[in-house]
This record gives sequence, C-alpha cells and structure tokens, in this order.
Amino acid sequence: MLDLAKSTLRAPRDYSACSGCNLCLLVCPVWRRTHDFSLTPHGRAKALQFGAAAGDIAASVQSCTLCAACEPVCPEEIRLVAMTLDLRRQLPQPAAMADLLAGMQTRASPSAAPALSSATVLLPGPALRDRPSTLARVRALLQRSGATALGADDGADIALALEAGGEIAQRRLDRFLRPLHGVKKIIVADGLLLRHLQPLLPGSKIIGVGEALSGLAAVRSALRAKDLYVIEARAYHADYQRLVRYYDSLRAAAGCSFNLDLQRIAIPAAARSLPQRLGLEAVDDGVQLRWILQGRKVTRIVVESMEDRAAFEQYGECPVVHLADLVDDGTSSV
Amino acid sequence: MHLHSPAVEPGTVGPCPVAPDALQGIKRQQTNPARWNGSNWNEFAAALRQQGIELRENAAARAAFATDAGGTAYGLAHGVVIARNTEQVALLLRAAQAYRVPVTVSGGGLTTEGESVAFGGVLLDMTGMSRVLAIDAEAMTVRTEAGIFWHSLAEELRRQDLDYLSAPLNLTSSVGGTLGVGGIDVNSARLGCSADQALALQVVTPTGDIVECSDTHNAELFERVILGYGQFGIITAATLRVRRYTPLRMHYFYYASLATAIEDLQLIDRNEASDYSGILTILDCAVNVLVAFDSLEREAAFMAEWRPRLRGYGEFGFGLRTFAHYILRPWKLGEAWYLLQRKRELFPELRRPEYMRDGTMFDRSVVFSRAVWKFWGSRQMVIPDLATSAGKFVEAVKRGNAVCRKYFPHYTLYLVGIKLRPEHRAHYEMSCVPPDAEGWAYGCEFEPMMDAGVYSRDYLQSFKNEIYDIGVDMGASYYRFGGMMKGYIRRVFGDALVDRHLALKRAADPAMILNRHVIF
Ligand SMILES: Cc1cc2nc3c(=O)[nH]c(=O)nc-3n(C[C@H](O)[C@H](O)[C@H](O)COP(=O)(O)OP(=O)(O)OC[C@H]3O[C@@H](n4cnc5c(N)ncnc54)[C@H](O)[C@@H]3O)c2cc1C
Ligand code: SF4
Ligand code: SF4
Repeated sequence: MLDLAKSTLRAPRDYSACSGCNLCLLVCPVWRRTHDFSLTPHGRAKALQFGAAAGDIAASVQSCTLCAACEPVCPEEIRLVAMTLDLRRQLPQPAAMADLLAGMQTRASPSAAPALSSATVLLPGPALRDRPSTLARVRALLQRSGATALGADDGADIALALEAGGEIAQRRLDRFLRPLHGVKKIIVADGLLLRHLQPLLPGSKIIGVGEALSGLAAVRSALRAKDLYVIEARAYHADYQRLVRYYDSLRAAAGCSFNLDLQRIAIPAAARSLPQRLGLEAVDDGVQLRWILQGRKVTRIVVESMEDRAAFEQYGECPVVHLADLVDDGTSSV
Repeated sequence: MHLHSPAVEPGTVGPCPVAPDALQGIKRQQTNPARWNGSNWNEFAAALRQQGIELRENAAARAAFATDAGGTAYGLAHGVVIARNTEQVALLLRAAQAYRVPVTVSGGGLTTEGESVAFGGVLLDMTGMSRVLAIDAEAMTVRTEAGIFWHSLAEELRRQDLDYLSAPLNLTSSVGGTLGVGGIDVNSARLGCSADQALALQVVTPTGDIVECSDTHNAELFERVILGYGQFGIITAATLRVRRYTPLRMHYFYYASLATAIEDLQLIDRNEASDYSGILTILDCAVNVLVAFDSLEREAAFMAEWRPRLRGYGEFGFGLRTFAHYILRPWKLGEAWYLLQRKRELFPELRRPEYMRDGTMFDRSVVFSRAVWKFWGSRQMVIPDLATSAGKFVEAVKRGNAVCRKYFPHYTLYLVGIKLRPEHRAHYEMSCVPPDAEGWAYGCEFEPMMDAGVYSRDYLQSFKNEIYDIGVDMGASYYRFGGMMKGYIRRVFGDALVDRHLALKRAADPAMILNRHVIF
C-alpha cells in the first residue's frame, strides 16, 4: 500500500511554523465564503499548535478546496496542501469513498497498459472526457506542436482518492504510472494530480492543459483585450514561481485580464470542498464568480478548465469559451 | 535610583524578576494579566445563545486565538464569537456588561504585546465583518465593515482604480484594529497616520449602544475611539477617504550613518519632496533611505531639486564604500558577509518582475507586505518602538540602536515620519503620538532577527524594557502602546492624564469589560 500524498509531498515545514500572518486568509475561497477563521490554514495551524487533533478540526480539514492558493503566499513556506491531505488521511474516509478505494485495492489489474510511444500524452480527466467534442479540439490543437496521445488511463480515481486523503494501492499506482515512464511531456487536466505527478515522474515535463493550449500561437492570437482569462487555480499554484511569470508574459502579449488578485494568485472559480466534490453538499460558486467578475468590464470569459466553464455558464453573465474553442479548426465543440 | 521589589506571598508567583538593570523605577506590568475567573460565564453563555449568538467554547476554536503575532503573550478565552453584524455585537456587549464578562476584540491579531489576546471571557473575532459596504468614486470615500483586512479593501478598491490612503505594511491588519492604534505607512509623512483617513465611524459602545460618530457628529466619542486602543467602543464600520490608484517609482539611497540618514529623511519630509519616504536598515551598517513617487513629474522634480542635497550614496557607490570599510577591518568580515547575504535575498524580492513594469512598481503594498513577512515574520516577534518629536528622533534612534547592538547580532530598524493634523490633536492625546510633537512625529521600530538564535522570553522582555526605558527617559511615546508594556504608559504620560482617561473609561464602561487589560 502506498501513501502517495505522504511519499511525494513530505512537508519540509509543518503547521508548527505558522507565524499567524493571515496572508493565507486573503486568498482562501473558503474564507471569502464563510469569514470563519477556523476554516483557514491559519485557524488549523493555531488549533494544532495548541494541541488539537485532526478529529477536532475535521470540518475545517474537509472544507478545504485544495485550490492551493494559500501555499505560494505563505511566508513560512509551509506545504499547506500536503498538510491538509495529511490531516484528511487521519480522518475516517467518507462512506462515498469506500467503493472507490476498495476497487483500487481489489480490481487493480497487475498488467499495465502498454507504454505510450508518443512524446506527449494528454491525461484529460472526467470533465473533459464528458465533452468529447471539446476533447477532440484540445487534441487537435495540441497535435499542432507534435503528436499527442490520449492517456487511456488518466488516473481519475487516483485523483479523487488523493483529494479525499485515501490510500492508493501500490499496484494501482504502478499500473497508472508505467505507461507514462519515458514520456517527455505530460499534459494533465487535473491540477491536484499534476502536483503529485511532478515528483513521481521527474524525467517528464508536466504541465496543465491551460499552459499547453495558451502556449500555442494560434490560441494566443485569438485572445482579445476585453477577455477575462480564467486560469485553473490548482495547476497554477502547483508551479507558481514559474507560472506567475508565464502568465505575466501572456498578459503582456495578449492584453486581456486574468482572474489574478493583487498578489498574482489565481482566484479559484469552481472551488469545491470535499463534501461538495463527493456530492454530499450543494455547490455554490456564486461568491467566487461574483468576486472574479466584480468591477471588470468583460465581454467574454475564456477558461482553461471544464469545471470553470460549467460554473461560469451557469452563472450566465457573459459568453464563456474554453481555450480550445478559440481557434476554428473545423471540429465542432458544442 | 533603586530597584523596588515588592514582597511576594508564599505560594504565589511574584513579579517577573528579569533584567533588573532594565527595570529601574518601572512598575512591573509586563507579564500577562491574570485570567478572568469565569464567574457568571454559564448564565452569560445561555443568555447569548438565547439571543441567537453563536458562541464557540470548544478547545480548538479558543486555541486558535491563544496568542497574537508577537507570540509571547498567551491567554485562553472562555468562548469565541465571530462578529457578523453590528446588532449582534451590540447584543454581545449588553450581555457582557450585565454579566460583567470581559470582551477582548481581535482584528488581524497583529499586536505584539498581547493587546488582542483574551485572558478569559469572550474573544470577539472582528474579521467576520469584512464586507465593503459602498464605494463612492465621486466623493472619493469608502464605507466598509471594520473587520476587513487592508489588503482585502485594496483588492475591492482596485477594481475601481482606487486605493486607500495609508495602512500598515503587513496588509493583514484590520481597518478597525488599525484605526484604534494609529497605523503608519511609508506615506505617513505626507498623509498622516492611517487613523487620520477615517471620516466617520460606526461604533458599538461598551454598554451596547450603536453610535455613528465623526468630527462633527458625536465628536467626543470619535476623538476617543480613534487611537483609543479599543477602550471606548468597538468600531464596526468606517468611512474612509480614498484616492486614485497609482503605481510608483522607487529609489534607494544608502548611508553609513543613522544620524545623517535621519536628517535627510526629515529634510525630504519637511519639504514634501517625495510621496513616500522612510528608512529601512540592515543593522546600522546599511541605512537605506527609500523614496518613491506617484508620478514621473514628482520624481523628476525630486531628482532635480532634492537629490543633489542628499548625502546618501547610490547602490554602486555605497558598495565601494562598504568594501573599503570592511577591507580595513577584517575582524568585521562576518558582518560584511551578513550584509551581502541580506541584500542578495531582500532586494530581488522588492523587484520581482511580475510587479515591475518599465521601472515602475505595481502594488507596492503587496511587495512590501510579502517582504515584511518573509524577512521579518516569525512565530515570535518583538518589535519595541519609540515615537518622538522630530527634534528628539536622532538621539532616540541612536540609543535604541545601541540596545539592539547589545542584545542581537542581527536586527533591522524601520523609521518613518507621521504628519500630524492640527485638527486631530484631540485624537492624539495619550496615544502613540508624543505630546511634544509639532508638525511631524517620528517612529522607529527596533526589530531583532530571530533566525540566528533561540531567545528566552525573559531575554526578549529585557530587550524591550531597555528600549521602552529610553521612551520614559526622553519623554517620548510608543507605537505599540498597551498590553504587556502598559506599565510604561503611566511612566511617560503621568498619573494625572492616565487617571483622567481611566475616569472616562469607567464612565463609558461601568463593568470595565471591553479590552480591559490593554491600557489600564
Ligand atoms: C510583522 C508586522 C509588521 C507590522 N508593520 C506595521 C506597520 O508597517 N505599520 C503599522 O502601523 N503597524 C505595523 N504593525 C503593527 C500592527 O499592524 C498594528 O498594530 C495593526 O494596526 C493592528 O491591527 P490588527 O487588525 O491586527 O489589530 P489587532 O491586533 O487585532 O488589535 C489591535 C488593538 O485594537 C483592538 N481592536 C481590534 N479591532 C478593533 C475594532 N474593530 N474596534 C475597536 N478595537 C479593536 C484590539 O483589541 C487591540 O487592542 C506590524 C505588526 C507586525 C506583526
Ligand atoms: S487550499 Fe484553497 S481552500 Fe484550502 S486552505 Fe488553501 S486557499 Fe483555502
Ligand atoms: S500564510 Fe502560512 S504562516 Fe501565515 S497564517 Fe497562513 S499558514 Fe500561517
């Protein structure tokens, strides 16, 4: 049995280093929605510093959306996402996870899919798979910069287990990783999975779908000054130091605005707590979406992720397009 | 002078006997107050719940507020209430007054002397009231709930191309917590302290009345609540002046002498030569006067008229001078190495490319705040300070610097001027603004770097005492004004003034429930 969260994200600094600066509150979607200090990294850190156990702060631990916005702003460089996952591991697994985790133990086939021969592999995740036409456009666009294979196994169950702090069977992990060894570039839709894959596949360049698509000249040139470009928060914060500069240069080139706050942190759009992700609590993206749009004069919203697209479409303020829809390549994406 | 050491009852803990040389003549008040004994708590808690007020009594909720940013004062509330609206705060204070339960208010909790720590009773977390209520871009004002962090306010204002006037550099102090204590920024020499930007306040008095006040309406309450250290009411909403947002252009001038740098800073301030000004040092070896400008015109005028009069070096010139200095003093190479390292770490942080465009800095408050927390923040922070008139400032800083040298291998001094507003004289009484200051007051924070060693609480306390003693000696004041160092308030202001304020406090707060340990 492998504890992926633990093995890849062993935190160099833990909650005991928290100085109480509050910077994490400024960017936290849970804080924005609730203004409840106990549901923030600072609140959790202080409670733990003074002797609380994971069970004492369970609601706080589960409320985190793992958007990772807090991590780059933490001056103590506490690995806040890893810490939250560590705490989740110490809590009883939600019943809704039981089947998935049991399946990973028992049904994991020992024989992995054959190694992927392409230099670039796309792991689309369930939301993109659910929209085959958009997926087709994404692939078609990515092919422009080289052959791109579709990972048959995109680790969706692993991503969900990670989210819940569940333990992932070694065999399942092996089966998932084996075909990816030796692949030069892996494009991952799920930002949490992306974060965990980076240390597991050090030989591969692992980037998000947003970065992969927005790096294409055709996509860049289709961006307009009055677009609001919505960066997918998890992937961005997983590689913040590099990506903050990447998106700054995209801003300079394209002239559009971004869902970035003054700290250059991506304001998460579809931010979901664990109970919300498991369908145990109703989703309410209104607070975040209103905050992203407040005071901005925007004629079109361009998103990197399908979850963000669905959230903005439901909100219905202005037209929403996925990055892949910006370039007309003859395939339909509706 | 002799040290007065009161008799201690057997079996009780006496006054802390640290650093006798630092305590001459000081009545000891620097330790945490005794915890409130909890009488009537259950009845009080039941009364709150009956009125629909959520009171959290579980250990995790209370522990989260057990200390402030200073990390040297510890206290545990009996329960925590998150402020949600003004009426709820008023109900809470009425019940607290009736049951005589202490209420301690916490905004950002960024005090360093335990002022926002509850030693029993209720901890009221004001950050629950963090909404911006209205922005009036024509009148250039904002009405906001007072628990909001300055940074969150800046975020909202920026969507309309506006900015607040001034706020503490840490960004995560709250509007209410700052209006109550002062607030200094690198533009305070031009715009006054942060509290001066308040035009009107909504206040819940200690007896639970909701009162709107300003310079013209309930002016007496306004006078007492601004810079009032939470003694005369809880600020629940504030109307603040705002301004157009501008990115800025920044310059640094380097000095080897504190006195010369301070004289030049005061020259800049007196002549409003720059829009932002201050001094930040690495030890007392690299004394850095920073100036910044809201426009190219202001920058050009400064460069033409004032730059030639300043005695500071540019980066290259100072580098050469420092090299020559240390090459002749090889026994100080450790210090030279530290300066170099510090500069290497700090300066790139102040020039991160995502915040710079064509030499102009965007979002200076974020840049400064990140640097402040990254380079000066830690689980324990002692930042004693001195606030003096312009004339006394050089001496105060020199003396404080000598204390820093004595106690710590590494430290920083942060110095700024605060323009005083003659019409706010009443606000300034018994506050961080020294009584003899005219035109400008000057503040210096003495901040040791904790990274190099582990220091006992007693050692840190002794350091603070020595700095605070300078204030008593020179007739100055302090920016950090209450909590564990409140014993100094009587020493600097004298009994008559403090007792007059105490009488006002007793009249406003008969059961002495609101922030009872902060000042009196
Ligand atoms: C690293 C660091 C850097 C700092 N830099 C600066 C700086 O550059 N400039 C500067 O001015 N200060 C600075 N400070 C000091 C600190 O920011 C100020 O004391 C700050 O204004 C406190 O605001 P707060 O919201 O954290 O208040 P708190 O610490 O929560 O409270 C301060 C006091 O006000 C009371 N209070 C809180 N909210 C209210 C309210 N709504 N109504 C009535 N009373 C209330 C509290 O009971 C307490 O007595 C710094 C502190 C730290 C730790
Ligand atoms: S990961 Fe996101 S939701 Fe979780 S604490 Fe950090 S900022 Fe808040
Ligand atoms: S940002 Fe980091 S150090 Fe600051 S309060 Fe949050 S967890 Fe603590």
